[in-house]
Amino acid sequence: MVSGFAKKNVCKVKEVILINPIYDSFRWLACGNSPQPLSNRELSFTLADDVYIRYLSICDQKEFQNLLQKKCPHKLDIGAVYNNKPSISRHDAVVLARELVFDIDLTDYDEVRTCCQEAKVCDKCWKFMVVACEIIHKSLKDDFGFQNILWVFSGRRGIHCWVSDYEARTLDSPGRAAVADYLCLIIGGDNQNKKVHLGSDNLHSSIRRAVSIIDKYFDDIIQDQEFLGTSSRLQKFLKMIPEDALREQVEKSLEKMSESSLERWKTFISIYDSYLRENGNAIRKIKYLVEEIKIQFCYPRLDVNVTKGFNHLLKSPFSIHPKTGKVSIVFKPNNARNMKLDEIPTIHTLLDDSSPDNVQHQNNMRNAVKNFQEVVFSLEKAEAIRKRNYANTTLDF
Amino acid sequence: MDLKIKRKSTRTVNTSNLLESYPHDLQMYKIPPVEDIRLQEFETLALERLTLLRCLATATTLKGLRIYSDEWKDFVINELRTQGLKYYANLCDMSGCGTNESDLLARRKDHIGHFILRLAYCRTEELRRWFISKELELFKMRFMTMSPKAVEEFFKINQLCYTSISDEEKNELMPYLRESTMHQKIDSLKFYKVKFYEVLDLVKARKVYIQSGYAYIPDKDFISVLSAQYRIHLKQSLAIACHHLGEIEQDERLVGLLKGLHQSYSGNDYSDTKVIIPIESLDSLSVKSFPLCMRQLHEQLRLSHHLKHGGRLQYGLFLKGIGVTLEDSLRFWRDEFTKIMELDKFEKQYAYNVRYNYGKEGSKRNYTAFNCLKIINNNVGPGDCHGCPYRHCDPSNLKNRLKGYGIENQALNDIVDMAKKGHYQIACSKYFDAAHNTDLGLGINHPNQYFEESQKLLNVSNKVEIKKETKIVKKEQTNTIEDMDFDEISEWS
Repeated sequence: MVSGFAKKNVCKVKEVILINPIYDSFRWLACGNSPQPLSNRELSFTLADDVYIRYLSICDQKEFQNLLQKKCPHKLDIGAVYNNKPSISRHDAVVLARELVFDIDLTDYDEVRTCCQEAKVCDKCWKFMVVACEIIHKSLKDDFGFQNILWVFSGRRGIHCWVSDYEARTLDSPGRAAVADYLCLIIGGDNQNKKVHLGSDNLHSSIRRAVSIIDKYFDDIIQDQEFLGTSSRLQKFLKMIPEDALREQVEKSLEKMSESSLERWKTFISIYDSYLRENGNAIRKIKYLVEEIKIQFCYPRLDVNVTKGFNHLLKSPFSIHPKTGKVSIVFKPNNARNMKLDEIPTIHTLLDDSSPDNVQHQNNMRNAVKNFQEVVFSLEKAEAIRKRNYANTTLDF
Repeated sequence: MDLKIKRKSTRTVNTSNLLESYPHDLQMYKIPPVEDIRLQEFETLALERLTLLRCLATATTLKGLRIYSDEWKDFVINELRTQGLKYYANLCDMSGCGTNESDLLARRKDHIGHFILRLAYCRTEELRRWFISKELELFKMRFMTMSPKAVEEFFKINQLCYTSISDEEKNELMPYLRESTMHQKIDSLKFYKVKFYEVLDLVKARKVYIQSGYAYIPDKDFISVLSAQYRIHLKQSLAIACHHLGEIEQDERLVGLLKGLHQSYSGNDYSDTKVIIPIESLDSLSVKSFPLCMRQLHEQLRLSHHLKHGGRLQYGLFLKGIGVTLEDSLRFWRDEFTKIMELDKFEKQYAYNVRYNYGKEGSKRNYTAFNCLKIINNNVGPGDCHGCPYRHCDPSNLKNRLKGYGIENQALNDIVDMAKKGHYQIACSKYFDAAHNTDLGLGINHPNQYFEESQKLLNVSNKVEIKKETKIVKKEQTNTIEDMDFDEISEWS
């Protein structure tokens, strides 16, 4: 029996499918699969009543469309490419390829962010995502030489990154682990107060670059978050200073001052500088203390297990988040700072012509699709070049 | 020593052939030996190789020496000499390309011994992993002790050709190389350009400058390229060896020996317990018999009624290992989690994982509890409280926690001290002694082993006796969750 409400929902879901750039998604998937057949890629659906179907796969665009329309999934997840058509009964299946993926979630910032906690997000904590996106994107491009990088809003409180370069797709698990560890600077659980340790040698080029990116946003974020604004936050901050004498000095001065975090931070810097001048031998221990604290506050906090594993399924771009109704839009990394959370299109405003946000959301949706298409085009081009080169080298033999 | 001389006299080995096959002390073991050897020699060489590899393990885990440090190396070499393996000591100490008869014979034994162990250690994922990590340590240690001339020779013999980058390119990159390469006198070093995935260990530790997918390494760091290649080669070879086990096992004389070898090594994997531990006793057991890592997880769970994924995995498998049944496990987790969430949510999101640990879902494998190495090397992120407390706690937090558990003065300082120095397992053993008021100095390498030892001490009841009897036979179809990346277990110092 289908109630009126459910019927309406089904219709809505169908319309959303029409809004979604099926054709582009399909091309993106197909390219990311090459040279393996598309049917070897695992997809999974989450249906209306939280029913989760794994081991789905498609052969062509028509099948993709039919499957979407038949099942009306609320959520579409994308998995790895196997040596065979994925199926529940195959335990000897081997993963042959998988985009290199990164998942950054604001819940991992709960110990530093003060504006929201858990599932809540606001434009203030979104700035953490802006910093994360810029740092990771720069490193993937400049250090690892990757070109085809897709950034997607995850629907609620985070961002996903998909790297589709052939080299990235075929990277083995030690390779993925190494990339993840290279990008991961904040290490430690709830039992460690200071989670960043940079040693006393030279600062690695990539870390220096990351700090300079953080610097662009730091004053802004510290004012938003008031990292040192209350006495309990101040205590937490003080625990990050490993040198007892310095910590006492800082504590004494900061407690007396106004509660503005930025002012307190500035005072901390000047105490730190003069402390180093007077105590030359302390330098080994706290040479990069300022950088370390900045990194602990602002550096991207990756969910490394998602990057390291092959079989972690990740939400497809342009999915609708079941709780927020927000579309997982594709955005350009250099435009992340201009994004506003309430400007991200939702299923409701997109379908409701009378909503005040309708026009703007439609517009943003169109832009997101355009961003997606750009990545798809460049990926197709790169794949074509790779195939041509491959053909040439095989002819040589 | 006597043995060796006897063997030499009974076997006449053609030296000129040997020189051709073994031009260098260090080998990549590309070609298997083809000569016929006696069964007795087969056995001796296998055991000697095993002694060598165990010696490396002892140096790091039991002695707590920093891997590849001078003390570590000295310990290994001295140990080899006292064990009567002078030829391995020589091969490890000053690798070169001498042509003495004794050099050549040593290389032959090295070669054969390596290939025999491949057969013994290709059976399960866990054995393979141990073998690869020890062989890699051995390879690295030997490479590092080589003279520059021997290194050059080694490259020539193995046809490893790399060309260094031009001076202009180097000058252009100079500032970056200087800040990102962990060596002195960068100006005088020659740099080579390799793909970043050839030197993953350097990338992982951010010890190399990378640009556009290429890593710039000085010649000193070439060991990274080599060991990466060697690791891949070993991995593939072991897989191939495993496929051919059937053929070898037609010879019964070898079966016993090869199977015995790996059993003589591998400890218990705690994947199959016969004893049933009721969950009602967990609170008291956690105080009496849990190692710190598990006690911490237990208390956290009771306190916040939730654990993050890593914690659930580590603690859940441990519970399974000590003998908590699936039904009890489900009840245990459900009782806690539903204090902060709807039952429906638990059933949908978490029950699957509990059943999965017991091999009832997904690939239906029988997963084993994590050992210390795995726990120590685990990733611990924000919000996590799993991992090894000696490694993943700030010294001050560790101190407070131990104090809270009633450990004081000398013992307390000893434990924290060991943890600070990076000897996590020794710290754990000291904690065991303090908690049980003994002085056993056990080598702890598995939380479940800790639990068993503790139970043994506390109640020498029938229960424990039964447990011991049923658990000696090693099961072969067990799997470790998240096999990947665990190959690199050797370096956590």
